[in-house]
Amino acid sequence: MALLRPRLPPSERFGALAEFATPAALYRACEGVRDAGYTRWDAHAPFPVHGLDRAMGLRASRLPWISLVLALGGAATGMGLQGWVSAIAYPLVISGKPYFSWPAFVPVTFELAVLGGALGAVFGMLALNQLPTLYHPLFGSARFERASDDGFFISIESWDPRFDAERTVELLRRLGATEVELVAS
Amino acid sequence: MRGTHNESDAVDHRPPLILGGPSFHDVTEAVASPLERPPTRGWWLYFLPSVGLLGLLGVAVGWLFFEGVGVWGLNNPVGWAFDITNFVFWVGIGHAGTLISAILFLFRQKWRTSINRSAEAMTIFAVMCALIFPGIHVGRPWVAYWMAPVPNQMGMWPQFRSPLMWDVFAVSIYGTVSALFWYVGMIPDLATVRDRAHGRRRMIFAVLALGWRGSMRHWHHYEKAYLILAGLATPLVLSVHSIVSMDFATSQLPGWHTTIFPPYFVAGAIFSGFAMVVTLMVITRRAFGLEHVITMKHFDYMAKIMLVTGMMVGYAYALEFFIAWYSGSAYELFAFKNRAFGPYAWAYWTMVSCNVLLPQLFWFKKVRSSLTWLFALSIFVNIGMWFERFVIIVTSLHRDFLPANWFMFTPTFWDVATMLGSFGLFFTMFCLFVRFLPIVATAEVKSVLPQAAAHARTAPRVELEDADALPSASRLARAEAE
Amino acid sequence: MSGPSHDPAVPAAELRASALWLPAGHPWRRLPGIGLAMAAAGLGGSLAFGLADPAARTQLWHSWLVGALFVLSVALGGLFFVLLQHATQAGWSVVVRRLAEHAMATLPFLALLFVPLLFGLGDLFHWSHADAVAGDPLLTHKRPYLNVPFFVLRTAAYFAVWSALAIWFGRQSRLQDRSGEHETTRRLRRASAPGLLLFALTVTFAAFDWLMSLDPHWYSTIFGVYFFSGSTVGILAFLSLVAIAARRAGLLSEVISAEHLHDLGKLLFAFVAFWAYIGFSQFFLVWYGNLPEETGFFAVRLSGSWRAASILLAVGHFVVPFFFLLPRTIKRHEGALAAASGWLLLMHLLDLHWLVMPNLHAAGISLGLLDGAALIGSVGAFLAAFGWSLRRSALVPIGDPRLPESLLFENP
Repeated sequence: MALLRPRLPPSERFGALAEFATPAALYRACEGVRDAGYTRWDAHAPFPVHGLDRAMGLRASRLPWISLVLALGGAATGMGLQGWVSAIAYPLVISGKPYFSWPAFVPVTFELAVLGGALGAVFGMLALNQLPTLYHPLFGSARFERASDDGFFISIESWDPRFDAERTVELLRRLGATEVELVAS
Repeated sequence: MRGTHNESDAVDHRPPLILGGPSFHDVTEAVASPLERPPTRGWWLYFLPSVGLLGLLGVAVGWLFFEGVGVWGLNNPVGWAFDITNFVFWVGIGHAGTLISAILFLFRQKWRTSINRSAEAMTIFAVMCALIFPGIHVGRPWVAYWMAPVPNQMGMWPQFRSPLMWDVFAVSIYGTVSALFWYVGMIPDLATVRDRAHGRRRMIFAVLALGWRGSMRHWHHYEKAYLILAGLATPLVLSVHSIVSMDFATSQLPGWHTTIFPPYFVAGAIFSGFAMVVTLMVITRRAFGLEHVITMKHFDYMAKIMLVTGMMVGYAYALEFFIAWYSGSAYELFAFKNRAFGPYAWAYWTMVSCNVLLPQLFWFKKVRSSLTWLFALSIFVNIGMWFERFVIIVTSLHRDFLPANWFMFTPTFWDVATMLGSFGLFFTMFCLFVRFLPIVATAEVKSVLPQAAAHARTAPRVELEDADALPSASRLARAEAE
Repeated sequence: MSGPSHDPAVPAAELRASALWLPAGHPWRRLPGIGLAMAAAGLGGSLAFGLADPAARTQLWHSWLVGALFVLSVALGGLFFVLLQHATQAGWSVVVRRLAEHAMATLPFLALLFVPLLFGLGDLFHWSHADAVAGDPLLTHKRPYLNVPFFVLRTAAYFAVWSALAIWFGRQSRLQDRSGEHETTRRLRRASAPGLLLFALTVTFAAFDWLMSLDPHWYSTIFGVYFFSGSTVGILAFLSLVAIAARRAGLLSEVISAEHLHDLGKLLFAFVAFWAYIGFSQFFLVWYGNLPEETGFFAVRLSGSWRAASILLAVGHFVVPFFFLLPRTIKRHEGALAAASGWLLLMHLLDLHWLVMPNLHAAGISLGLLDGAALIGSVGAFLAAFGWSLRRSALVPIGDPRLPESLLFENP
């Protein structure tokens, strides 16, 4: 999480930003950029376009594992805490039930497991996305505001080994971009 | 151009969910532009009385803390009445929001996208209202922190075998996870509002949106997080109201101790929650001109869900009554006779009429298509569900095993004031929500529009051949024999 | 017109209805014969052994009950699945719905499986003995409900309702194969809601009658829901197995894809969790209240070797399948899903055994030849009826207007 600016190497130029008219056009273009061998690039849309992660060649997210580990941690905490409190730290005889009344500990254990999983999912997602990152060079493009409204974009960073100001722009135009601009850093 | 009816009964394709064929930008405009104008007179008409009721809540709670729990009508044996009724009522209402967000998401019900944001907000506000009651009813609220499992100077720890302790965890975790789900879901829409805003408003939304830029790499993890949250929130909904039901079911009181309480309470919660969503949406869609986004089809589905969950509640009533007889327990049978024919019979029959009889009207398409009927019935359902909790709690307490201990409960002014005041909190929060935040999940609605599809596939044509061309059992058998 | 596509992500351009029937000479055509042979051997054998002496006779009827309820619960699950898909206007499930229709088509035949049990009422149900009732105030109190004539009448009524629903819904679906009429789908949707209501009431009271009253002093309001939850796990496991087997047998490989298996897997996962939720609710509330009139049920099942069976049930019917079915890849993998489904069917059988047998063998589990024979016989009867239904109509509802949507279905 880079709070104010993303961690990017210093450079004059951020890269190329291309706009597309429809989600379908974006989809086809992403396949093209992926097949051309670019690695430091991204697509932008106001909603997650179905299938676009495959078109971009993205690997499956590791988030479920993070969530699972924290959920199991929550469950262990729940059982452990209740067990320790009820059997060791402050044992009370309640309606003749055993000190370690595991059935009675299930509700809280379950709830803490869910909490663990939820915190894992949310903060894991924010960590994997490096959010919050309040500033990004792309916000410098006036047209980019449409990314949260109805615009579909591809951005290719200049640090990509295959990046070349003319050829990358030409590739994007060939793939169906309606507008291409070079964005400053 | 904008129709308000999309109830074509076509079965070979899915009718459009959003009417009028809006573009992506149209959806943005519809949801974001009301936030950029000053509030209407109609908004003030709802907001000011709500704040008034909220003030009443403040006074009622303040007086309660000052004088003590005696300002309520509680007595021995009726140690719980309005306080816990309101608690269960509000928690129940919250559950519909999570159901719409999480469970309908898992069932791929795209129609949820028009209402899930408001429903989730409703959940959070309902949980806020719910949590007040256990907090204030304890008699010594200044030591409520004893419920927290933290080391202290007395070496004392909470009693984890008590359902009231489980409630503390369940309801607060429910509030937390619901808030997380609501907020995470809102991030892309906050970015939408940010990009249209200027000056200080832009800064506030920029911070809230965490710098979201619609990056597909971000959406990739985001969608996974959303799915995981939905998958977690589903059992959470079931568990929370089950745990709340265990406040009663773990006891030994007739009318309380019965194994069907957990799923029965959950069904009832969804029932009352959807009723509240209907109540809110009938007003909100009109106030914000969103009739093409929250359509009659949406109300049709919500009414059907109310019919199903209402019948589950009716099923539980019938079963409880049957088993009360079947068990042969005189106390159990008396508890039910007392409900139907004792001094609180008026509450019982209100409950049955509102929860079992009136919702039967939802079988009729005419009723499901009428906003007046929908609004009226949703209010009656909530009245009925409030009375259900009141009947369960008070009738079992006021006449249990020992007739010498029987007594009546009569609410005091402060009982009623606290209850009405909680509605003030709820509606105040909801008014603030619709004023400042996007009330429809804009990004999600855009993703279910027809133009959002990135690649279309054509379905295979299925050739229905002549009856003669099809193998019949006898023809095949003959072919095998030859 | 193109031939079959071998890429599962791309369905064929055209499907001919004739290709969606069970082909002549296919091994599955022999199912009715095989089933009848199993039924004759199993049921005949059980009767031969069981009717020998009173002890064996009691064991016979208990074992027969477990076997019959096992297949009945799957058939009822099929009825529920069909009613639910119609009520919710589901699109993804059309390709597997006919398989569930075949499962529910067995219901009228399973009534025959219950007829011999009527001769065993005296051995199964304590409340059917007049002298026992006379000496027991509780049983006397329950006599208006727990008496043989009313019991038999109720059972007949349940089967009448189930058979009527199964026959009507199955027939409408088959008629639509020929006509392709849209109005049929609407009619089925409208009828499914009252159908579900009837289903809920009949299954609840059938569970009370045939399972709960085995211990007539005990009661639990959630018991009907518990039986229902196990039955749903049963049908989802069965459907997954049949769908996978059909693909392996060269049927429906262009029709049922990993997407549909994924959805069946998701539902199986969800209902495994639901079963555990209902089962735990029942156990927990009885344990916590600790009332003698309720705890007897669990006291028996937690002593002797029944304790191990209970733990096996909790771990095998819930904990292991829960974590096993959690990953996405497992639910989409034929072998893994089939293994999970087979295991869960076994666990469902254990559940029913655990519900019935402690009434006969209070000290501990006691498995014998009669258990095996009755099970083989019941499963044989079910397979015979299932196989018969499979042969006389198409393997998918080819006239369903939502079939194209189902064929194209993709999990997000």
